[in-house]
Amino acid sequence: MEKIMIVEDDKIIASELQKLLVSSDYEAIILQDFQNAETEILSVNPDLLLLDINIPYLNGEILLEKIREKSTIPIIMVTSKNSEIDEVLSMSYGADDYITKPYNPTILLLRIGAVLKRTKAKGDTITYKDLTIYTKKGIIKKEKEEIVLTKNEMIIFNYLLNNQNRIVTRDELMTDLWNNNEYINDNALTVNISRLRNKLKEIGHEDAIETRKGIGYILS
Amino acid sequence: MKIKEYLKDKMYLFLLFFGIYSITLLLLLAFKTDKSLTIVLSLLQMIFLLTILSVDYGRKKKFYTNLLENIKNLDKAYFVLETLEKPNFYEGKLMVEALYEINKSMCEMVKTLEMQQSDFKEYIEMWIHEVKIPISSLILMAHNHKEKFDKKSMLQLHRLEEYVEQVLYYARCENAENDYLIKEVNLENVVSKVALKNKDELLENKIDFQVKETKYQIYTDAKWLEFILNQIVNNSIKYRNENRASYIKIEAREEKDKIILSILDNGIGIKESDIKRVFEKTFTGHNGRIKTSSTGMGLFIAKNLCEKLGHKISLESKENEYTKVFITFYKNEFYTVTK
Repeated sequence: MEKIMIVEDDKIIASELQKLLVSSDYEAIILQDFQNAETEILSVNPDLLLLDINIPYLNGEILLEKIREKSTIPIIMVTSKNSEIDEVLSMSYGADDYITKPYNPTILLLRIGAVLKRTKAKGDTITYKDLTIYTKKGIIKKEKEEIVLTKNEMIIFNYLLNNQNRIVTRDELMTDLWNNNEYINDNALTVNISRLRNKLKEIGHEDAIETRKGIGYILS
Repeated sequence: MKIKEYLKDKMYLFLLFFGIYSITLLLLLAFKTDKSLTIVLSLLQMIFLLTILSVDYGRKKKFYTNLLENIKNLDKAYFVLETLEKPNFYEGKLMVEALYEINKSMCEMVKTLEMQQSDFKEYIEMWIHEVKIPISSLILMAHNHKEKFDKKSMLQLHRLEEYVEQVLYYARCENAENDYLIKEVNLENVVSKVALKNKDELLENKIDFQVKETKYQIYTDAKWLEFILNQIVNNSIKYRNENRASYIKIEAREEKDKIILSILDNGIGIKESDIKRVFEKTFTGHNGRIKTSSTGMGLFIAKNLCEKLGHKISLESKENEYTKVFITFYKNEFYTVTK
């Protein structure tokens, strides 16, 4: 389980953010001691840091610079400062991403996932039961059988794979699709899911995607 | 300085002169002096008058002509004092002195107002950062506790966020300071962000959102452009025609020295008589009377921001048929040189 540290002085946001991360199978720790933020962060040694710019004592950008002197942990700046200047400054100090508040929670999770994937240099293959999934190529392999997914089907399947054993809402799937410049509507999503199901059925995983009425889908 | 007006102004001098001349003439006649003396004296007096007038006119003409010409030619007329040579006559000196004092007091006034405005802008920026904190909390809460918040409250939160953002950019576009940053940006990424922002509303209203050919590198401030596009897309959503299936089509094309982005919708369109004025501040027009929540600020701010960034925004529309907004990004040589 990946460990994410939250540097955020608004207690409500911090705790809601923690809930969000925990529900997505991350371990989430909230920074307590802003006066010695740097020491605390380095001693916790998280897999990823969510860093606000407006924090007590040190400005987030300065804290970022200080951490970068000693560590290469992935850092995502999360801030209400909506200006290109701050973004460029943060990126030049070594931030891995920059997200402005208020953010779409699903997008935040996607960006966290992307940064972790990039820094961990995870391969483009995922295994699911007896299947090997080549996410970049959009291919599912089962021994010698091979099935090709369309871009939309791959995005959906990939999202389900990354969120196994949890109910995924239609809105989350839609957000991921739109995030990948696939601006489809509700009907098209339904069609894509049923096509994906059919393809999975072809290689012997008929009930892999279960529907939870009124909530969403789950990959069992 | 016009000679006719000048002479009219000097009428009293003529009257005085003719008075004295008549008296002299009468005296000369009364004393029965020689005719030639009369003629010589008359001529002398004429020459005397003309000399005084032309010398005086000469001294003033240069100064006043310069003053008037420069006021006309300068785009900031209040700099005129800096362009003038010092006059060598008393009235001119008085004039310069008075202008200097007037200028100074106006500058002080402007300075105070500028400071007030920049303080206000600073406060607005700060306030917006503050108000975004509870909005962010609410959005997170709504996401984490879906059983308590429904989709409708999310849409309201989204509206709230948009209004807050509009104030921020209004403060930014009305201010003299230019706090943007122009760099190379992929147009597709900006479009994608705007699409995601409006995803719920687009889906809710069953608006078909189509994007093609936007993979162009342009020079802009990504955040500002995102705001501008968002205003346009918001308008397309707001002024959709509910009697038919709506769409929004976004595409870009490249020309020799520019890239043109177009946003087309099949909404209610704009009345021909209103088209010219849609970029004016607080102009709401016919459509504004149909929809209650028009502020007439969105396109005004968008145009202002575009001007600051060096883009061009324009619009064509046919009532009840379509509205198409164009944003033109020029391939400025300046950018490529500094790159």
